[in-house]
Amino acid sequence: MSITGESFSYVAELVRRRSGIVLESGKEYLVEGRLLPLARAAAADDVDAYLRALRTAPHPARLELVVDALTTNETSWFRDAQPFQALVEHVVPEVRRLADPGPVRVWSAACSSGQEPYSIAMALADVLPPGKLEILATDLSAEMLERARAARYSQLEVNRGLPAPMLVRHFARVGADWEVAPALRNQVTFRRHNLLELPPPGGPFDVVFLRNVLIYFDLATKQDVLRRVQRAMRPGGYLVLGAAETTLGIDDTWERVPVGRGAVYRHEARRAA
Amino acid sequence: MRALVIDDSRTMRRIIAGILRPLGFDTVEAADGREALDALEEGLDVELACIDWNMPNLDGLGFVTAVRRDGRWRDVTLMMITTESEQGQIVRALAAGAHEYVIKPFTPDAIRDKLQLLGLVGLQESA
Amino acid sequence: MTFDVDIDAFQGTDPVYTIAEEVFSAMIDGEVGHLRAWAGPEPTLTDEVHAWVDVRGPVQGRVLLSTEQPTARRITRALLAMEPEEPVGDADLADALGEVANVVGGNLKALVTDPGALTLPEVSHDRPETTPEDLIYALSLDWRGRPLVITLWNLP
Repeated sequence: MSITGESFSYVAELVRRRSGIVLESGKEYLVEGRLLPLARAAAADDVDAYLRALRTAPHPARLELVVDALTTNETSWFRDAQPFQALVEHVVPEVRRLADPGPVRVWSAACSSGQEPYSIAMALADVLPPGKLEILATDLSAEMLERARAARYSQLEVNRGLPAPMLVRHFARVGADWEVAPALRNQVTFRRHNLLELPPPGGPFDVVFLRNVLIYFDLATKQDVLRRVQRAMRPGGYLVLGAAETTLGIDDTWERVPVGRGAVYRHEARRAA
Repeated sequence: MRALVIDDSRTMRRIIAGILRPLGFDTVEAADGREALDALEEGLDVELACIDWNMPNLDGLGFVTAVRRDGRWRDVTLMMITTESEQGQIVRALAAGAHEYVIKPFTPDAIRDKLQLLGLVGLQESA
Repeated sequence: MTFDVDIDAFQGTDPVYTIAEEVFSAMIDGEVGHLRAWAGPEPTLTDEVHAWVDVRGPVQGRVLLSTEQPTARRITRALLAMEPEEPVGDADLADALGEVANVVGGNLKALVTDPGALTLPEVSHDRPETTPEDLIYALSLDWRGRPLVITLWNLP
């Protein structure tokens, strides 16, 4: 038994207003599942009852709990954790085994305010010596790139998914903010880039992070983008998508490689022996 | 799962407990490190302790040090939640054996993120 | 009476404002946008309530939060996720407002090298004794249309 249409509409509107994320119909089960713990903690009979009570007393902190339960961590460090673990434990060791002795080249394609490329650099800090890692980070937004280049984050931002040992090792306090250490910053080059154009210079890439960006495109565009990305990659290179994303149904020339609790992708036609 | 929430501010204890409960924790509160240690000594079993730094009787650093020194509580995850935000303080806390560190002010998301890192809460998918 | 603050040291952003905004957005409002600088002449507070923490060490100072009772009750309700009509006890209000002063003060302390320790927060209807010459900085804020003033003082 799922939640009522009225409950779902209320929640969808709340989430849309607060985060811009649209919950399509068909997601009722997801909403119920996510809100059930909140309903239980509030001793409500069920999610519908919980939401009815919430509507009569729409307290900001409670609304925040509901929105949090339903939206992704947009600007978290090490988002979803598993891909970074996969990078360290499987992807980079494989790349080094197969590729020439030059630097490992990683492309963070939709880097936003920089958490992803800097997370990649932090994850690999003990795996690759400084000169052996080159990260290209691109985004369509010039403002995001400026923020990412500045590498300065607020206390609230560094609270998000960044292990404390990494904070003290790779950041320094500047005023009320935290700034990424120069050694790490030097490993990342930022460049404005549109995924619908030809790939950026700096390749061929051994690893491409293309996380949670394909979801914004229609199928034909997804296919275009994947083809362009593939051409910018080395044979045997690895593609890393968002936690809930897959190439299945978009482009069947990619092989899904399970790693840990998730997966990465390699292109079949260009897989090295 | 059970969490011990240690802070001399009743407000802060309520806020933290309010965030932990929907994540699946029963919560027990203590107003300082001494009270918290006594509770553990009396046999309270917890998976997580959320610890403020500045408290009377026994402060957060003292509590962390005492817990890490005792094999009985080897499996308790220690997360400091404090206003102390100088780099040196964080280093001290981690060196004393704290597993994680949250700087006040924090959002419910931040606590959740840290608990995910620590493996105490499952990863959530995109909506 | 206000002093000029050397905000150039912070690249044009006011760290006190930044900290206040973080505290309110993270823990009180759940979102950014309800706190802004007070527009117009300095607000006059009625039905006052004050919360402060002192820094004692090589640096001796006070971080004082001043607002009005109804506002303080709203802040308390927000922090404790209380119902809109739930009565706010004196103890709850003192603890909640004190904790806000504690978090603001703690973050400000971190901006000063080798500051010392923070005292426990105090809350009172009466403004603590201060002399005008000891005022270092003042910031008047508008939270949901209500005044909230943060002042920093040297302690003799």
